[in-house]
This record gives sequence, C-alpha cells and structure tokens, in this order.
Amino acid sequence: MIHLTNIHKTYNNGAPLHVLKGIDLDIAKGEFVSIMGASGSGKSTLLNILGILDNYDEGEYYLAGNLVRNLSESKSAEFRNKLIGFIFQSFNLISFKNAVENVALPLFYQGVSRKKRNIMAMEYLDKLGLKDWAQHMPSEMSGGQKQRVAIARALITQPQIILADEPTGALDSKTSVEVMDILKTLHKDDNMTIVVVTHESGVANETDKIIHIKDGLIGKITENYNHDFWKAASSK
Amino acid sequence: MRIDRDTVEEIIKTITQNKSRSLLTAFGVFWGILMLVILLGGGNGVQRMIWSNFDGFATNSGFTWAGNTSVPYKGFKKGRAWDVTLDDLQNVRKNVSGLSHVSAASAHWGTPPIYGEKKYSDGWLRGNEPEYQYIEDPQLVYGRSINEIDYRECRKVCVLGMNVYEALFEKGEDPCGKRIQVDGIYYTVVGVSNVQENINLLGMNKDAVIIPLSTLQRTYNEGKVVYYIAYTAKPGVKVSDVESKIREVVAIPNYVSPDDKEGVRQINAEEMFEMVDTLFGAIEVLIWLVGLGTLLAGIIGVSNIMMVTVKERTVEIGIRRAIGAQPRDILQQILAESILLTSVAGMAGISVGVGIMQIMDTQIVDDMGNSFGYQATFGSVVSLTILVIVLGAVAGLAPAMRAMAIKPVEAMHED
Ligand SMILES: Nc1ncnc2c1ncn2[C@@H]1O[C@H](COP(=O)(O)OP(=O)(O)O)[C@@H](O)[C@H]1O
Ligand SMILES: [Mg+2]
Repeated sequence: MIHLTNIHKTYNNGAPLHVLKGIDLDIAKGEFVSIMGASGSGKSTLLNILGILDNYDEGEYYLAGNLVRNLSESKSAEFRNKLIGFIFQSFNLISFKNAVENVALPLFYQGVSRKKRNIMAMEYLDKLGLKDWAQHMPSEMSGGQKQRVAIARALITQPQIILADEPTGALDSKTSVEVMDILKTLHKDDNMTIVVVTHESGVANETDKIIHIKDGLIGKITENYNHDFWKAASSK
Repeated sequence: MRIDRDTVEEIIKTITQNKSRSLLTAFGVFWGILMLVILLGGGNGVQRMIWSNFDGFATNSGFTWAGNTSVPYKGFKKGRAWDVTLDDLQNVRKNVSGLSHVSAASAHWGTPPIYGEKKYSDGWLRGNEPEYQYIEDPQLVYGRSINEIDYRECRKVCVLGMNVYEALFEKGEDPCGKRIQVDGIYYTVVGVSNVQENINLLGMNKDAVIIPLSTLQRTYNEGKVVYYIAYTAKPGVKVSDVESKIREVVAIPNYVSPDDKEGVRQINAEEMFEMVDTLFGAIEVLIWLVGLGTLLAGIIGVSNIMMVTVKERTVEIGIRRAIGAQPRDILQQILAESILLTSVAGMAGISVGVGIMQIMDTQIVDDMGNSFGYQATFGSVVSLTILVIVLGAVAGLAPAMRAMAIKPVEAMHED
C-alpha cells in the first residue's frame, strides 16, 4: 500500500532544516501501524508526505501503486480525496458548518449531489454514534465528538488508508481510548489500512506495529500484534 | 463547476460571518454604483431639458444679419452701419442654391400688448415673413400662423406667444378672433404659438406678439429693412457650406466686403448643436470618470477585504484542499463570494439610484407637466448590472489566486 525509499525532506524557510534523512518504509494493505517518536523528530513531516499534503525532495514514494512525484495539484487533490482519509489532532472541522455538512464535504468535491451526500453523511454519523448531533455546530460538541465527526468525514469517501496525526493529542484519556477503539474496529472489521502518528507510547501500543523514528531516520520496528492479549492479561 | 445550494449557502454564511466588515465593504460598491446611476440619470435629464429647448427647430438652419463693417470696401470706410432688406432676402432666395426655406424677421420692443384690463409688460412685437413657420415650427396651440395673404395685405393680425396668451386670456379660452391692442393699434388674434426658445436673436418667443413682417415695417416706417434673414438648408446640404455664398450675395449689393465676417454676421444651428453635443459628450465622459472612480475605490475595498479574509481562512482552505478540493474549486469559491458580495451591493445601488431618479423625474417637469426623463436609461442599467458582476470577478481575482495558492499542508498548522 505504501512504499517509501530514501525519502528526504528539508525545510528551507529560514535556515535549512533537514528533517527527513532517508526514510525507507513499507506499509502493507490492512496494516495498523503507528509512527512513534519524540516531538520534533519529523513524524508529522513524514505523515504529510504520506498524505500528499506536502512534497519530498529526494527518494520515491508509491501510494497504492502510484508514483507520488511531480503530481499535478489537481491529481494530488484527487488522490487525497479518493484514497486517503485524514484525522488531525485539532480535528480540523470547518467551524461554520454543522456536523453533517462537515462529513459530507469530501463528497461535495467529488460532485456528489447534495441529497445523496447528506444521506451518506448521516449514515456515517450514525455509525459513529452521532446521529443526534448531525445538526450541531462543532463549537457545540466535545473533543471526542468532534474527533468522531472528523473520523466520519475521513471514512465517507471509503478511502484505502487512514492517516491520523496525533488523533488523541487533544483528548482526555477516556475519549482517547474511545477514539483508538474506533480505529481498531475499523482495522478489524473492515481491514482498513491505518497509520497513526503519536508521541505517546500508550497510543502506539494499541497498534499492531510500532515504527520508531529518530533524527529523521526509521529506527527499530516493533511487532505488537498481541497488544489486546497483553492488555487483557495485565488487567486480570 | 461545482455550484449547488450548499455553495450558495456557504457563500452567504461566510459573508454574514463578519457582518459589519461585509457591510462596510459592500457599502463602497453600493455608493459607487449609486453615484453612477444618479450622475447618469441626472445627466440624461439635464441633456433632455436643454435639448427640449431646440424642439421643432430645424437643425440645419442659420441666420444672417448686418454688423458694422470691419474693412473699407469700394470707397466706404470701415465701421459703417448698414441694413439688411427685403431685396437681400429676394437675392438670397434667387441666387443661393441648396436652401429649402429662406425668410426674414423684424422686431419692435417696448410696446406691451393689452387686452381689456390686462396688460403684459414683457411683451414685444415680432414681424415674421410667412415662410418663417417652416424654419421655426410655431407649435400652434390655437389657430394658424401668419400666412401669405396676411403678409401681402399688411393685415393687422397676430399670433401670441404662450406667456402673452396666458397673461391676457383665461386658461383654456380660445383667443382667435379677439382683438388685442399694441401701441394703440388693434390686431386680431389668429393663433397661439408655444414655440420653444431656440437661437434667439430678437427676444423670448414666449413673450412675442407675432405680426406680419410687412405690417411691422409699415407701422414703424422701416421701409424694407429686416433684422435678419433666416434659412434652412436642403437635406444633405450643410448650412455652413452655403454660408459664404449667402454672405457674398448679401454683402456685394450693400457695398460690404464679401469677406467681412463682422460686416455680415452669421450664425448657424449646426454649430450650436455641435457645441452642445460636444459639451454633453464631455460631461458624459466626466460622469463616467467620476462614477467609475468612486466605483473603483469600492472595488479595491472589496479586493482588500477579500484578501484579508482569505488570509484569515488559510487553515480552512488548507483543510478543504486536504480533503480533496481542487485548486479551481477554491478559485471558484472565492470568486463567487466576491461576485455575490459585489453584485448584491451593486444591485442595491442600482435600485436605490433608479428609485431616486424616479422621484426626481416626477418632481422636475416642463410647463406642460411632461417629465424630462431624469432616469438612467434601461441600457445603462443593464450595462451597470453586467459591470458589477464583472467588477466582482475582477475584485475577487487576486484574493482567489492567493487562496488557490494555499497549500494543503496549511491544514496542519494550528490557527
Ligand atoms: N513548515 C515548516 N517549516 C519549517 N520547519 C518545520 C515546518 N514543519 C515542521 N518543521 C520543523 O521540522 C521539525 C520536525 O517537525 P514535525 O515533523 O512537525 O515533528 P513532529 O511531528 O515529530 O513533532 C521540527 O523541528 C519542526 O520545527
Ligand atoms: Mg507532529
């Protein structure tokens, strides 16, 4: 699903900052992985490249078999729209749109009719337990609810991969667990490919594979398939 | 083009989000358009008002009269005064080709007309040669003009100017057949003329008591003297092209140099109309300049505010790009916002402007209660409407380009 070889990224606004120094990474279809590292280690930079939100300077990136290099603005927009679902730390809902409008927005950019996209948005809100909140504005919702709206928005285009940057970063521990449970269910039931960026080991521990990033390079990769087993065992 | 009800709702939401700012911005455009409509409408009204003075007047007409000579000629010194006569009138008729009507007029002032107890002290006597009615349409309200028989027989008949009629007779009263007195002589009224004020060499037509030229000449012992010769050119002939021939025909028998433009004075309506026309052209250019200037200020305001708005909405636009908006979706959105804001403001300006002109139009009327058309023309309203839409797009262009350049990664930057 994701294939990276020798990815480099330097920020050139101000003093040049070489953030990614040769990332090699493969993520297969249906994997549930986390990218773990200290703050400033380049996790978000890497995720932005994965999400075609930003470009890279060197190396190659293949997403679902497509070479992501020198893509036109409109082609990358189409890839983001159809292949990827984004979940952000700060939810990134549009403040003057209610829940159902926010969820429906990606379909608007696909040219889906208003009626159809609102029906679909309602379905996804329902799946995430937010049916009664459909007409509410983001400002009227709790952090956990907002993140669930964002997840519904990420899912509505039936993407091939979910990219989440610190999805629990703005949530308390109880709602963090809820959000991670949603991602786990998506992985288990729908075999969704999910990449979660986090600096919290607790969050990383919920995923099947933990990719450590340090000083712009991939460090060790920890298999973690039995996290639920160990959790269940330790809580006994 | 992805424009549906959501798009429109969204535009309205974003515009109403910052109401006072949007209102202020819109006001600039509103004001600019309002000014333009009022200036254009007012300009039309003033123009019609002035043109109405020339109603019924042959635009290809001219006048020739005697001045003091400015050059010595055939033994006569310069500075000599002389008179135009009926002989000159006949000469012009005979010898100048290209004219359709030639006539002459004379005047006598200081003799107010009297009817019963009533007297009109601004009145004056005007002597018209019968053909004069073809040069200046008398616009008769009652009766007829001075005719050939009146002239030949030096009849004591008269046609009253509108002010004279109103001063001496009751409103709606037919004065024909009544006898008025001027300077101790009785004249039978044969008509009332509402002729407009045109190029006036003698006095206000409204105040005139028109009698046959021959009657006036005889009454005041003026022999064959006329005050001026008036003429209209045939279709396709310009008065200015026959003027020098007329000057020659009039000058030579009177021992005046045919090149003496002060000795033989001339004026033609064409020149006057051209002057007025040029003046109006200049005024209209000025109106558009002032109006468009004001409007431009409004448009620059819209553009600036949109620019600020786009900057404030960087993260939002980044989010849209992140979830799949094409650059052209963003472009369209900002352009649509700008066009909607500008055209709503502009159309409000047009409506208020048209409303104000409507009120003015009912207030400013001529003697007969007719309006002058203080109104922006339908054509200019249509072009203004198109103009505001185009200007909305122009105002939105720079902000839209800027918005389009916002990278999807901006969604990741905390606001
Ligand atoms: N747009 C940018 N311009 C310049 N420097 C940046 C930009 N984004 C991130 N950085 C810098 O790059 C480094 C890695 O950032 P980031 O990928 O956000 O790290 P992390 O998500 O792991 O905390 C940091 O030092 C950060 O300050
Ligand atoms: Mg980060």
